[in-house]
Amino acid sequence: MDEYVIQTEGLSKCYRHWFSRGPKALDDLTISVPKGSVFGFLGPNGAGKTTTIKILMDLIKPTEGSAMVLGKPAYDVDVKKRIGFLPDSPAFSKQLSAREFLSICAKLLRIPSDVRNETIEEALHTVKMADHAKEKLGSFSRGMLQRIGVAQAILNKPELLILDEPLLGLDPYGRQEFKQIIVEQQKKGTSVFFSSHILSDVEEICDRIAILKKGHLLCTGELDSLLAASGVNVVIAPGADQIFKELMADAEGSVKNPDGGWTLSFPHNAPPLIEKIEGLKKEFPDALTISASREKLEDFFFRTVENANV
Amino acid sequence: MNEIITIASGTWKNVLRMKVVYFLIFCALVLVASAINYDVLSMGLHKELMIDVALVLNSIAALLVVISLTFEIPKELREGVASTLLAKPLGRFQYLLGKMIGCVVTGAVICFLIAIGSFIVFNISFAQRIDVTMFQSHLLIILALIPMSALGVLFAVLLPEVIAPIITVVVVWFAFSTKFLANIWGLYGGILPDLDLFNFKANAVYQVNIPWMYILLVAVWGICYAAFALSLASIIFERKDIK
Repeated sequence: MDEYVIQTEGLSKCYRHWFSRGPKALDDLTISVPKGSVFGFLGPNGAGKTTTIKILMDLIKPTEGSAMVLGKPAYDVDVKKRIGFLPDSPAFSKQLSAREFLSICAKLLRIPSDVRNETIEEALHTVKMADHAKEKLGSFSRGMLQRIGVAQAILNKPELLILDEPLLGLDPYGRQEFKQIIVEQQKKGTSVFFSSHILSDVEEICDRIAILKKGHLLCTGELDSLLAASGVNVVIAPGADQIFKELMADAEGSVKNPDGGWTLSFPHNAPPLIEKIEGLKKEFPDALTISASREKLEDFFFRTVENANV
Repeated sequence: MNEIITIASGTWKNVLRMKVVYFLIFCALVLVASAINYDVLSMGLHKELMIDVALVLNSIAALLVVISLTFEIPKELREGVASTLLAKPLGRFQYLLGKMIGCVVTGAVICFLIAIGSFIVFNISFAQRIDVTMFQSHLLIILALIPMSALGVLFAVLLPEVIAPIITVVVVWFAFSTKFLANIWGLYGGILPDLDLFNFKANAVYQVNIPWMYILLVAVWGICYAAFALSLASIIFERKDIK
């Protein structure tokens, strides 16, 4: 049971519109998030990411199915002591200062009063907002609010961080810092579950992903195995123009290298082409270098979502 | 219990930091003081009019605080403040109770400031000591905040944001008229709270004693009604999706 920090089984959600049921926002979702992992939860708008996250935080009640968080049902109030949560568009009382708001959060998280101030300072330093601690939240930009949102999520040194679109509104520096925070949290043993549209960042920090579309789970698994060996890269040495001309017509992509050579990419699922490349390699061993290429998450995401029949 | 106090303190800190609140208190006191000039209107009963105006303005202030609560809860739900708070180890009933207590404390502070201000104005205007019934009547208005806030919470979770304040005002208006309603529908002390139990303006004006035991019993009644309304609100809120 403790191997997984999140387990959902047959989770479905149908929002009601007065007395009629609307379309399913989530349909039979079954996922498991292993302890210690950084799990990216992906999908186009309306895929059901936020609905799932809110069910995990017991903010939304599922129509069917069950959700377990840290081995307890999601509706267990006490389990939230061990979770850090950042909502998709963090909004806090505008009249309060950053420190006052974090103090309220710390009290709700039952952080003992003798270490409360120290914990708040530490969280403010982590998100680089210590200089703005006394300012009112109403005067903060979206990026600053996002940082305060992250600070309140890590206040209790959680075992599990659930973050809904945490990179939204952050500038490139903010995104970089945020990714560092996630990596540091993972080093401390915290599991991270987050949704995002910024696929390059997801690829950089996640070790597992799940992709949703219209409430249906399209795929889930380890990022490395999902993206592995999706094609072949061929590096052609400078001057091997004949080989370049021969392969160029079949290549999916081509990039000119700084040394004047070329890198051509080919799909993995075309055996005659692979045979042809291997034949050329035998004939001109110094002119060709072959390597397996890993598919980009972005390409994998679009391919998976567009091919899905839902 | 700490969680409830935390939510309540967040609520009153929020309201009591708004400069407009103090401006409204100042306006209320100016209105109380101006009662001394209403010769024709009061037919020479300046003192009585001033006591009455102070109590009416205090009742309106209490109602305004309750209305602000019916705006605040849906606003927190809409803007995502509630989802941040409820993602902490905080039960939904605790959240509502904290909001209600915050509203009662905020209202009590504002009503207390208006009451003290009006006593000072009264004392300066007539050089008379403050009668205990005046104090008791203001205290009853503060106690009326308990069932009124619970009603506000109930409507805030039950009704859409734009309707909740209007319905709250209408219901409070009728609840202050339960004696009148009793003659028509027999609703006295029924589903509507009997807020007329807290209305002793006439006693204050004519300085007719109000027994302390009565005030105690009315306070207990207010707490019981608030417990009923809050439980109902909690049952509804527990099933609500927080978007």
